[in-house]
Amino acid sequence: MEVLSERRVALFPGCSLEGTSSEFLASLLEVFRVLDIQCPALDNWSCCGATSAHALDHEMHLALNARNLAAAEEQGYSELLVPCAACYHRLASAAFELRDKPARLAEVNAKTGLDYRGGVAVRNVLDFLANDTGTEMIAARVKTPLAHLNAACYYGCLNTRIPRMPAFDDVDYPMSMDLVVQALGAKTLDWSYKTECCGASLFITKEETSARLVAQVLQDALARGADCIVVSCPMCHNNLDTKQAAIREAFGIAKPVPILFVTQLIGLAFGLDAGRLGLAKHFVPVALSATGKAC
Amino acid sequence: MGPDGTGQEEILRGRAAVVDGENPCLCYQCAKCSTGCPLSSEMDLLPHQIIHLLSLDMEERALKSKTIWLCASCYTCAVRCPNDIDITSVMDELRGKALSQGVPCPFPEILTFHKNFMRDLMRRGRVHELRMMGEYNLRTGHPFHDALLGLRMFLKGRLRPLPPRAAKGFKRWARRLWKS
Repeated sequence: MEVLSERRVALFPGCSLEGTSSEFLASLLEVFRVLDIQCPALDNWSCCGATSAHALDHEMHLALNARNLAAAEEQGYSELLVPCAACYHRLASAAFELRDKPARLAEVNAKTGLDYRGGVAVRNVLDFLANDTGTEMIAARVKTPLAHLNAACYYGCLNTRIPRMPAFDDVDYPMSMDLVVQALGAKTLDWSYKTECCGASLFITKEETSARLVAQVLQDALARGADCIVVSCPMCHNNLDTKQAAIREAFGIAKPVPILFVTQLIGLAFGLDAGRLGLAKHFVPVALSATGKAC
Repeated sequence: MGPDGTGQEEILRGRAAVVDGENPCLCYQCAKCSTGCPLSSEMDLLPHQIIHLLSLDMEERALKSKTIWLCASCYTCAVRCPNDIDITSVMDELRGKALSQGVPCPFPEILTFHKNFMRDLMRRGRVHELRMMGEYNLRTGHPFHDALLGLRMFLKGRLRPLPPRAAKGFKRWARRLWKS
């Protein structure tokens, strides 16, 4: 196994992974333990600004993310591994802008009192799992192949769509998560809502609008025969899972769709304990039979 | 404009509202942004119409639209634009301008959510979701909105009762920057 400490990769947990989606962090760390990946958490990190900072003030978005990038650089890291899709989008887009526009970097440093030099690469967890860890390495640790599972991999908006920045995967039809899930023995589905929007914070502020978007995602996944939807975004998870029963009722969707973080699914295939993977924290119950059939 | 067309862009730019690094005059109204937008059915002006207004130097109408607040920042328009206009970031900029010019937000909940989120972030550099949501409910006048869901989330261990550890030095750093 490659020693990551030589490459100096730090993990950026973020607010959701220490709060509402702590099972994402727990399952990631469990899976990393099995894969023998050591990745210390960035010390003294702060919030990326999520959906709010950039929505109101671009300068604030840049400053908040520059603070984390500068912290990573100062602590001697060359890469920041970001599991949360929203944190990833904010950090990666800020890092790209600051690298792309040296004048902007100088301006932000001057204003914020930071000394960021543009030396940190922001890495998406799907990119990391599919391309750094590799599907062979993941497949080698599988104890319970998910042979009968049909999974719809849902990337949402924020994993691949960063304007102008070369993405690690196809912008409209990514496959990195599919490849990881296939390595677990599961079948992944071709479907139309892979990168459609779940409504993000409109789930709180304009519920009906977001419910319509969530319903479309659930309906298409079910129509393709999905047993579950796999995500890597806490916001997508929250929106697809927490009010699913009410949304299904409102839109006449009969079958519940369990929503899993990709690291939880990997953990199940690795034979890890469902409790430690945090499956009980979900609103739509997740159960996996011996044949790997979910639901 | 010179006889060979030089200076044309400058003339157009001069007329168009300047949006941070984006040139709305590059738009040829293909409406690809509007067809891909998941929120377009609820918008009063479609994304390509917003860009058109900007190219005609009619920013004021754009600032009053529902559109800029309905945009969920999914970036579909930005990555699909054949003229490489980052429309999502234009929406961000317009929202900021609407705020600074005191244009009322047609969806008070949305603005309250963002402001409340930032207020919570500024306290310790990390967001305490339980408090953030509780305060959002109070500020929007619906203290028991989703209370049952919140309780169930709490019982499932999804909402931590105590605030997260503060990022060291964050508060002072942020205060100096934004005087909040």
